[in-house]
Amino acid sequence: MSDTWTVAGKELLDLRRDRLFAILIAFLAVATLISVAVASADFRNQQGAYNLYVANLVKSGTSIAPAAPQLFPLKLLRGGIEYLEILGALFAIVLGYETIAKEKHRGTLALVLSRPLGRFSFAGGKMLGLSIAWLGVVSALTVVSLLAVVTIGQAPIRGSDVARLLVSSGFAWLYLVFWTALTVGLTALSTRLSTGLILALIIWLAFVLIIPQIGDTMDPDNQVPGGLFATLRIKKPDELAVLAQFSAFDGIRNGLEVSSVTKHFERLTFAFLGIKDQYNQQPLGLVWVAMLPYSITLTAATFASVVFAALATTRRTLQRTHS
Amino acid sequence: MGLTLNVPAGEVFGLLGHNGAGKTTTVNLLTTLLEPSSGDATINGHSVTADAAGVRRSIGYLPENVQFYDDLTLLENLRFFARLSGLRRPDARIRDVLSFLDFEGHDNQKIGMFSKGMRQRVGIAQAVLHEPAVLFLDEPTSGLDPEGVRTLRETIVRLNREFGMTVFMNTHLLSEVTKTCTSIGILNHGALVHHDSLANTLAAFPAEDSLEDIYFRLDVTSPS
Amino acid sequence: MTTLLTSARHEVLCILRAGVALLLLAVFLCMVSLSSVIGWITNTTVTRVYEKVLTDGLTTAPNPFTAVSPLYYARNSVIYVVLIGALLAIVLGVQSTLRDRKSTTSDLVLSRPVNTISRLAGTLVGLGVVIAAVLLLSTVISWGSISIIVGAPLGPDPSLRLAVFAALSWALMMIFALLGMLTGLHSRKETTALLVPFVVWSAVTFVLPQIGANARPVALLNPVPALITTGTNSFDLVGAITGPFAITEQFKRAAGIALQDESLTGSPTASIVLLGAFLMAMTWIVLATSRRQLRSGLNE
Repeated sequence: MSDTWTVAGKELLDLRRDRLFAILIAFLAVATLISVAVASADFRNQQGAYNLYVANLVKSGTSIAPAAPQLFPLKLLRGGIEYLEILGALFAIVLGYETIAKEKHRGTLALVLSRPLGRFSFAGGKMLGLSIAWLGVVSALTVVSLLAVVTIGQAPIRGSDVARLLVSSGFAWLYLVFWTALTVGLTALSTRLSTGLILALIIWLAFVLIIPQIGDTMDPDNQVPGGLFATLRIKKPDELAVLAQFSAFDGIRNGLEVSSVTKHFERLTFAFLGIKDQYNQQPLGLVWVAMLPYSITLTAATFASVVFAALATTRRTLQRTHS
Repeated sequence: MGLTLNVPAGEVFGLLGHNGAGKTTTVNLLTTLLEPSSGDATINGHSVTADAAGVRRSIGYLPENVQFYDDLTLLENLRFFARLSGLRRPDARIRDVLSFLDFEGHDNQKIGMFSKGMRQRVGIAQAVLHEPAVLFLDEPTSGLDPEGVRTLRETIVRLNREFGMTVFMNTHLLSEVTKTCTSIGILNHGALVHHDSLANTLAAFPAEDSLEDIYFRLDVTSPS
Repeated sequence: MTTLLTSARHEVLCILRAGVALLLLAVFLCMVSLSSVIGWITNTTVTRVYEKVLTDGLTTAPNPFTAVSPLYYARNSVIYVVLIGALLAIVLGVQSTLRDRKSTTSDLVLSRPVNTISRLAGTLVGLGVVIAAVLLLSTVISWGSISIIVGAPLGPDPSLRLAVFAALSWALMMIFALLGMLTGLHSRKETTALLVPFVVWSAVTFVLPQIGANARPVALLNPVPALITTGTNSFDLVGAITGPFAITEQFKRAAGIALQDESLTGSPTASIVLLGAFLMAMTWIVLATSRRQLRSGLNE
């Protein structure tokens, strides 16, 4: 175990001095800040438009006004979550690749492997170090998000909001560790280092961008700007009743979406943060019950990915890998 | 430090010196891979500053630890370099060179599969495809086994004797120099501390047993 | 001229030999082929949904899909060019210039009578030929699959529009290939060379449209534009500044108009001019690379 900690400690030391890592994390933080700023500006626009509308109504002598747009602070984080889905996964891949590639490039791999290390000490230490690093990054991003919502979004935050954000951060951590571990395994298995990286990028492209995109574009309600059912002026209960008759199509569409780990992460975080209207302002317990299958699958996927990294990163695979 | 050096045509010249003496920089300047901040050099009548293209047409170059496009075959690699050297239909010439190097039967194998010794022979092949007047070799025996060293030595000597190619070779393997070179120069901290034919050098130090002893006698020391 | 042609031919050969690049290329062609099928299945289902809604008396609105262009089925391809095409181009671009620096073959090349502009232009031509060949193949696939779906060969107008779409796709992919070439020439590490253009791509594709038009990142992957509330204010101003740099959005707009997407109106000229300007500027920057940079080693 001490070997594992030694490797993990060295990994953390490397990351602390890695300028590329710092730049990537800063980029993620800035993207999150921008998305909160844009969402809050959008909310203020809506509020302005509403006030103008109400003023016109009052002028015309009507006293019945529609409900005012309501600010749900955690909804401001939608863009930030989407950046984590896409860019977070990309950066996690880079980190996973770098951890193997740097040992190979600077020729320290042979020095490490010539020591009496346990079978899983190297891979375990690397994964432990990277998981701790991601924990630090996710914690920092959580604080940034919280501060952004309070300051830029000017939204009041309650205790339950913090709890929801923390749960979502936990899932973000699992999601990032999943991608890092997958890339560690792929890089170790590839005989040429760059092949491992490009393979991981192809998987990222397929599961983060393409599959969710296909699912999204197959959604009947996404066929017309503003939504098909809104264009046809159909109410929600009728919409559900109609769609129930096309369950086979929706089953395929949903099947495609849930084949992507990204969608699991998205559905979990959207539910806990109340971005998905269905779960907005619902008790946390109820959201947990509804989201239990996704939390199990995301955890299982991350666990499987870490196991894959540990099994793939052996002395034999590492030594045949070249740049 | 400035370097003044004249290597007559037809010589096999060995530039000796410790690590960091400036041997590779000298070759990089002479092959136009680096531009001199001041001064000039003339290769086969072409100035490295005023007529770099003329220099490039006159030379062949084998860098230390030469590498190729590993995904391409031997023939594809050599065709590429031959065409860049201006050969329009290079296949016949490639076959001649490979035959000269006794390296036939590997045409369609990917270079990624080649050993260090095989790569070095491909390195020589790419350097002489266009029949250059001057051949620059940077530490050509680096990493080769004894058999590879001997084969390379024989190739260098044949290229010089049979085709009259002038060879400019960087090395710190003194034993190879005595078997290959006709003249030597010793570089120390960027300055030439000795330059003469090998025969004159050995004759000038009758008390010394070997070129190695002469080398240290000339007080060539590595920077500490 | 010899250097240019030799370099172009060499680049094509190297790409064909690089298994991973071919894999990415296969993914692109596969997705473009699937694109028409996905469009057709979705369209058929949505039409059935509309008919069901109509017979149930839930709406009196006209069918929003009446008389859609046959090119409707190719609209997902626009997104695939932005996603897969651009990333494929980046990978090809990075490898084209990093290859010589990584294996130090640049010294073998530059010790020959080779002009750096011809060498880089040749590499660029090689990349352009490969990307054009991929797009030609994908256009033929799209043409064939749409013809099968609509039950008749596509006429001259939609065929020409598909060709215009391919030309626009080529311009966008070449911009990203050039970006890849640039980072392949200047990065000290292979990871940085690949990562920097990926980050630039994601910033251009997701962040700029969000700042300028309040578009959510994931919504940008839907070929149907979301209804965006911009209004009077900050978004219009910022959008005017960031819009020209959001070249993937410019491409989506021009390609959408070429493919007769009814949600897009106006002229594509400005978008096409911007794409052309970016292509020329990037080409100039890459061709101006110094000889010294071409042979600079990697820090790994």
